[in-house]
Amino acid sequence: MDYVGSRFPEFGPPGPPGRELTSAKVVVAGGFGVGKSTFIRSIVESDLLTMSSLAPERAGGVTELVRIQFGRVWLDPGLALHLFVAPQWQDARAGWTDVVRGAVGAVVLFDIMRPADSVDAMRYFEDHNIPYVLALNNVHASVRGDVKAVIHGMGISPDVPVLHCDPRVKLSVREALISLTEHAKLDRWRRRPGPDETTPLAPVC
Amino acid sequence: MSSSSDAPRRRRRAETPAEQTFADLMNGFSLDSGRKRTRMPDEVPERDTTPVVPRTEVPAFEPVFPEPSDASIVRAYAWTGGRTRSNINLEIETLVSANDQSRLSTGILQAEHQRVVELCHTPRSVAEVAALMRLPLGVVKVLLGDMAERGLVDVHQTASAGGDTPDLGLMERVLSGLRRL
Repeated sequence: MDYVGSRFPEFGPPGPPGRELTSAKVVVAGGFGVGKSTFIRSIVESDLLTMSSLAPERAGGVTELVRIQFGRVWLDPGLALHLFVAPQWQDARAGWTDVVRGAVGAVVLFDIMRPADSVDAMRYFEDHNIPYVLALNNVHASVRGDVKAVIHGMGISPDVPVLHCDPRVKLSVREALISLTEHAKLDRWRRRPGPDETTPLAPVC
Repeated sequence: MSSSSDAPRRRRRAETPAEQTFADLMNGFSLDSGRKRTRMPDEVPERDTTPVVPRTEVPAFEPVFPEPSDASIVRAYAWTGGRTRSNINLEIETLVSANDQSRLSTGILQAEHQRVVELCHTPRSVAEVAALMRLPLGVVKVLLGDMAERGLVDVHQTASAGGDTPDLGLMERVLSGLRRL
């Protein structure tokens, strides 16, 4: 047998990383069955992918894989927006660090009939200074009056935008993402370092 | 029993540092290695003889072998040489794409590198590669880090790679992109 072609070629040094492509991510959190996957599916318009990750603090147990669902949509030819379903809180706290690090922000889907389900996620985002919006799902007209009271009672900061969102409707999801990004921009602007704190916000294009 | 056997050992340990010279140290090395050599042949024949005589006991050792459910994950970590960290900073949303170098060298790459190159003909994120290859995220990060170091894939850093939050320019791009959807 001839081994002519079997020599591994000599690779040059890795080139500088390309600058023309980039990506951003948004985290979608909330209680069980509140519509996180549906939310992502309606903006991505395809099935979600599932990746598995080992929770660092449990890395000793080989079989404990955290499954994270996500979708990806190209916003322009060089920008891919990723939307990750935050794993259920009970599964792994550590699974969140990879998902949340560097995210634009988070959409917390909130079922007004089960407010406690989303509280853990909100507390996490507040503790880690991650901008988030509260997207109210499944709000029947008869209880809309109580929403403000419930949210006020939960002690959520008044800066957090609260909006109604139907995860099945693309336009509704898009609106939620737009208001999240605007809120994140404002949040980022407020937290920026430097003396010019009073500079007015640049107009949104 | 244990206290009586420990006592001379302790005494020996206490004595050695005071008396020890360079020659003693060298002798100590040769003695230790000699001990290991003498122990090994003692143990091996014992193990060999036991399964031969009582043949019924041999199947009892079989469940020691690893279960098949863990094997696939173990194999994945064997690809990475047991490493769990990559030298290159890869976030889960970081895009990677195959370059000309990898396209030219198709057919002579390792099987898993070949699969990554095929997947990354269109740019894909680390998370996508992990999902499509059905490998744990950590394994894919190491795999892609290796490939990037060897120039097989281009890594397109995210705008947030330096800090924890994306910069305002990226947010503007996200906003205008979302409005166009």
